[in-house]
Amino acid sequence: MTTSTRRTKGGPVGTPAGSAVPRTLAEDLRGRGDDELAQLLRARPDLTTPVPVDLTQLATRATTRASVARVLERLDHFTLQVVDAAVVLPDGFGYPALRDLVGDVPQLPGAVEVLRTRALLWGPLESLRVVRTVRDLAGASPAGLGPALPAALGATGPARLQELLADLGLPPTPDAVSAIGAIGALFADRKAVAALLGEAPPAAAEVLDKLVWGPPTGSVRGADRPVRAADANSPVEWLLARALLVPAGPQAVVLPRELALTLRGGRVHRDLAPTPPEITATPRDPQAVDAAAAGAAFTAVRRVEELLELWSTGGPAVLRAGGLGVRDLKRAAAALDVTEAEAALWLELCYAAGLVAGDGEADERWLPTPAYDVWRARPVAERWATLAGVWLETTRVPGLVGTRDDKDKPVNALGPGVDRTAAPEVRHALLGRLGELAEGSAAPAADLLADLAWHRPVRTARLRSELVDRTLVEAELLGVTGRGALAKAGRALLTGELNAAADLLEPLLPTPLDHVLLQADLTAVAPGPLVVALAQELHLAADIESTGGATVYRFGEASIRRALDSGRTAADLHRLFATHSRTPVPQPLTYLVDDVARRHGRLRVGAASAYLRCDDEAVLGELLADRRAHGLRLRRLAPTVLAADGAPDQVLSALRSLGYAPMAESATGDVVITRPDALRTPPRSLPPRVTGEPPAPSTSLIDAAVTAIRAGDRAAVSRPRGAEDGEAPAELPRTSAAETLLALQAAFAERRPVWIGYVTREGRATQRIIVPLGLEGGYVTAQEHTAGELHTYPLHRITGVAPVDVADPAPS
Amino acid sequence: MAEPTSGPLIVQSDKTLLLEIDHEAAADCRRAIAPFAELERAPEHVHTYRLTPLGLWNARAAGHDAEQVVDVLLRYSRYPVPHALLVDVAETMGRYGRLTLAKHPVHGLVLTTTDRAVLEEVLRSKKMAPLVGARVDADSVAVHPSERGQIKQVLLKLGWPAEDLAGYVDGEAHPIDLAEQGWTLRPYQKEAVEGFWHGGSGVVVLPCGAGKTLVGAAAMATAKATTLILVTNTVSARQWKAELIKRTSLTEDEIGEYSGTRKEIRPVTIATYQVVTTRRKGVYPHLELFDSRDWGLIVYDEVHLLPAPIFRFTADLQARRRLGLTATLVREDGREGDVFSLIGPKRYDAPWKEIENQGYIAPADCVEVRVTLTDAERLAYATAEPEERYRFCATTATKTRVTRELVEMHAGEQTLVIGQYIDQLDELGETLDAPVIKGETRNTERERLFEAFRQGEISVLVVSKVANFSIDLPEAAVAIQVSGSFGSRQEEAQRLGRVLRPKADGRAARFYSVVARDTIDQEFAAHRQRFLAEQGYAYRIVDADDLGKA
Repeated sequence: MTTSTRRTKGGPVGTPAGSAVPRTLAEDLRGRGDDELAQLLRARPDLTTPVPVDLTQLATRATTRASVARVLERLDHFTLQVVDAAVVLPDGFGYPALRDLVGDVPQLPGAVEVLRTRALLWGPLESLRVVRTVRDLAGASPAGLGPALPAALGATGPARLQELLADLGLPPTPDAVSAIGAIGALFADRKAVAALLGEAPPAAAEVLDKLVWGPPTGSVRGADRPVRAADANSPVEWLLARALLVPAGPQAVVLPRELALTLRGGRVHRDLAPTPPEITATPRDPQAVDAAAAGAAFTAVRRVEELLELWSTGGPAVLRAGGLGVRDLKRAAAALDVTEAEAALWLELCYAAGLVAGDGEADERWLPTPAYDVWRARPVAERWATLAGVWLETTRVPGLVGTRDDKDKPVNALGPGVDRTAAPEVRHALLGRLGELAEGSAAPAADLLADLAWHRPVRTARLRSELVDRTLVEAELLGVTGRGALAKAGRALLTGELNAAADLLEPLLPTPLDHVLLQADLTAVAPGPLVVALAQELHLAADIESTGGATVYRFGEASIRRALDSGRTAADLHRLFATHSRTPVPQPLTYLVDDVARRHGRLRVGAASAYLRCDDEAVLGELLADRRAHGLRLRRLAPTVLAADGAPDQVLSALRSLGYAPMAESATGDVVITRPDALRTPPRSLPPRVTGEPPAPSTSLIDAAVTAIRAGDRAAVSRPRGAEDGEAPAELPRTSAAETLLALQAAFAERRPVWIGYVTREGRATQRIIVPLGLEGGYVTAQEHTAGELHTYPLHRITGVAPVDVADPAPS
Repeated sequence: MAEPTSGPLIVQSDKTLLLEIDHEAAADCRRAIAPFAELERAPEHVHTYRLTPLGLWNARAAGHDAEQVVDVLLRYSRYPVPHALLVDVAETMGRYGRLTLAKHPVHGLVLTTTDRAVLEEVLRSKKMAPLVGARVDADSVAVHPSERGQIKQVLLKLGWPAEDLAGYVDGEAHPIDLAEQGWTLRPYQKEAVEGFWHGGSGVVVLPCGAGKTLVGAAAMATAKATTLILVTNTVSARQWKAELIKRTSLTEDEIGEYSGTRKEIRPVTIATYQVVTTRRKGVYPHLELFDSRDWGLIVYDEVHLLPAPIFRFTADLQARRRLGLTATLVREDGREGDVFSLIGPKRYDAPWKEIENQGYIAPADCVEVRVTLTDAERLAYATAEPEERYRFCATTATKTRVTRELVEMHAGEQTLVIGQYIDQLDELGETLDAPVIKGETRNTERERLFEAFRQGEISVLVVSKVANFSIDLPEAAVAIQVSGSFGSRQEEAQRLGRVLRPKADGRAARFYSVVARDTIDQEFAAHRQRFLAEQGYAYRIVDADDLGKA
């Protein structure tokens, strides 16, 4: 556990290539063939962005926390079990030791190879090493095992250790290390442990049973009180007296790793799962599957279209935090006659496919995008393929809409907080698994969930069951699956061939029709999907009453008026009906159109800002003809009425300048007598008083200021010589980024102070001595040596690292 | 692209079924879906049926199972049926019959289940607590016999309708036979009676004019027991009486009338809704009627109008056979569920068109006549108070003129003029020189006028809404409605029924509505138009000025 390689600053690390046993991961990688390296990069694509300059850098990058976590997430359950076992072993273990801990299953060599390929495990089979970061990520208790004895008893005094030896019936030893070694040897001996526990009170054995498979810690009062075997009153004290349980603090005890492994029978895992769980498939008729899926696919396209048509005339408001309000979602669901969950699916799909977006106005609203018009003009099968393709790859999870987030706020459709990076992977994995079954096989959600849990236990841990359930429901709604089995088109979709998927779907879709059945109850029934042009015309002239395989349109006064408003004439509508109706046009419909058309546009509305009234038509005629009055843009509304574009007072003065004597009229028709009014502002408050003095500061403000000044003063005084700000940048230690990281890692491992050159946020170059306490995500958390304060330094601002003892950079 | 499969049925996502009736398999399909889907609209080309829980339960009650329903949908559907819908159908139908009410030798009446979880679920409901007694065993619980009706109502509301297998009392026997002299029951009437009798209790749905009274008479002749008949009003009661004397072995002395004027209780008693539901000082003084005899059969005429208190009385009558007669199961108050649980499931249904095609009712030609108001009338209409507007446009003088033209056009034919407002009717009576029947007209006078109209002594009769229900005017060939109660569909069905009796010469009946253009009257007319068109009647709109050409 303590075999971190001491790395010297700068230069190639370790021995030259070709030596028998690699001492570092970089050396190990150097010893691998090109195709092996290629495999590594393929399995961990994050290592290639950017491409590392050399193998040292590759090794460094491959052991960063983020990268290792990423690759661990993508391992299956069994391989992770092997990782657990490997982490339990001290570095430099042999393959047989690993096999003993895991169990001799035929899948083991494969798993070890996977780990080696991914550079999580390195070294020859006789002396394998686990990358240090993997150990860190495994945490204090891998596979539910407590700390090993050296760590668990590290803080125990020598006297107490001798007491423990005595109570275990072991001979005294000269020092602490050998004492711990003796206890460890006893715990590793199965027979001796059995004999020891044979004497234990039954309750003590029960306590061990509880802890043996983890978690290994239990809480108990007064755990750190030294107890002798003779004084033990309780089962826990009996165990504590013999180091079978070790104090882990005043209130906690822990089961030492060596003992736990012996009690586990020398294995790390109770349930080893070298193979994924079985899936019980239900066979379905593939033709029925495809038909059902095609039906759903058709409906899906239709729903999306209905929704966006609905929003084409003015969508709902975009919430200030982004997203769609709960009430608007409800309204959309009611309009589509679907559940809110389903409405959320269509909305999110539209959003992910770029068919709907905020319009970017001050009062932002959701509106269809121009991409929607392009999408709508394409055949149904292609439209479906676009949607289904987007669904498969999107990180948005419509199932989250309506739930509450970590802050207990509702998650809104189209809003933030709906993205889950694991979603596309779950969809691929799930449908891929369905696809591996025989054609037309459906599988229960529980089986698929168990399968996914085995293949991607870490990656999909959060939300897994919801994601699986929702994915299956959504796939069915979208027609990727039909009756629970993967449809042909869905299969093509999985391979990314959208065009092929559309081609497979097309023959299963109903043929678009160019006719409807008109009825005397003022409905039109389209007994199937309509060609786009006809659908659009009908959509204009009628309201949709019910959808599904067919569409029922209802004509009404309002819908006919809508058509007339958008420029259709009564004759257009009659022609539309005559051309596209399979049945004679019912007389009430013809009558309705004519009746609405008769009244349509009888009243006219326009804007005018002033009018001119004159009983003498000739005067008005004269004005209209007068070129000087053209600026007023007069137009005749009736023989005795003109409308003008200017405000009444402008018109009045213009007319006066033309030599007329007009009078103003009020809204009630009275003559308005005008005389110049005295001008006044609206009511105003007093102006603020301006004084020369600033407001007196409060006592608390003064106190805070004093504290801050004192703190700054102290920091400046305690600053070491030579570490003053403003030092010449040329004298800062300079190392490459990879070297910096290496040196910091080394310093971190040994808790050793180092000099760093650091550029402050203001751009000043400084030097500091720090002791790194954490190294993660591009930041070093460190104690600043001089001030003794904790700081976090972004790695990219550290210009270089130098060891404190090697070169004192302060030229005083 | 593939041709669509050839089915005549299209399943919509809102659970409506569209049946294309010009399709060759349409008739078969109609027969197959009729037991479980309610016909909602029947215009000329595509009929709309709806799947509702009540409809599906009706089908279960008639012995159909979910598999049959799913099979029918899959067989006739043109496009793939959404899987979710099929699952829903199976799930809904599976709910009926999990609970059954049955007789028990010790406990009297017990509620038994085939699914223990369901029983536990319904027993947890607070509404169930007062209705049930001790647990008999894990799967059954005793029910107070007096709560047989309430428990069925409650269970339906909880979504677990119970099947009532507790049987019926025979009641006091009384010999009744049909007197089939010179006439016979029509085939569909026979089917309706058989369907009812086999089911025990329930509702028979037949269009107006299809002879529902005869179905009632035939049911009585099958039961051969004392019978209580509940009808809407006194005129209707008299007609039932007359019809029963004519069509059965019953004599005048055996039939009693229990109404506002007479309180006779005889082996066959006809009572009006109004008298039964009369309340004095918080009690119903006429409830004794239900207990006054050991009735073997109770007949409810016009079930869709049944007032709420009668449901309550009916809940206590669950041990007696109940026959509901109606032209439509649609209630404007939405209490279809109470009809289902208290009177019984639908036992027979035949759409108007089908019976019309068989020639038992006359085809009708519906014409809406649009009259244009004069400029003065339009101005008056525009300034009328909102609550007066309908009355104003419905009773405008222009209508009277147009009505007169219509009556003149059909001179010699038996013509009814129907309206809502008494002033208008009086004015029409004066203009047309025809007698007026309204609320204040005495029953004897009414019957005299009806008889005279039947005999052809008078050919034009002006009637108010009192004539809406259950009057029988065999030879009315033309009906003209000038005003109505705000476009009620029920009223429309009843008024249309006035002219649907088959005519001697097989001519189509004429049904005119006179409507004022561009007014609220026209809006109400739109509702009626939709209703008539949905029932499959030819519908035309003509301008009053073009009447001569129509």
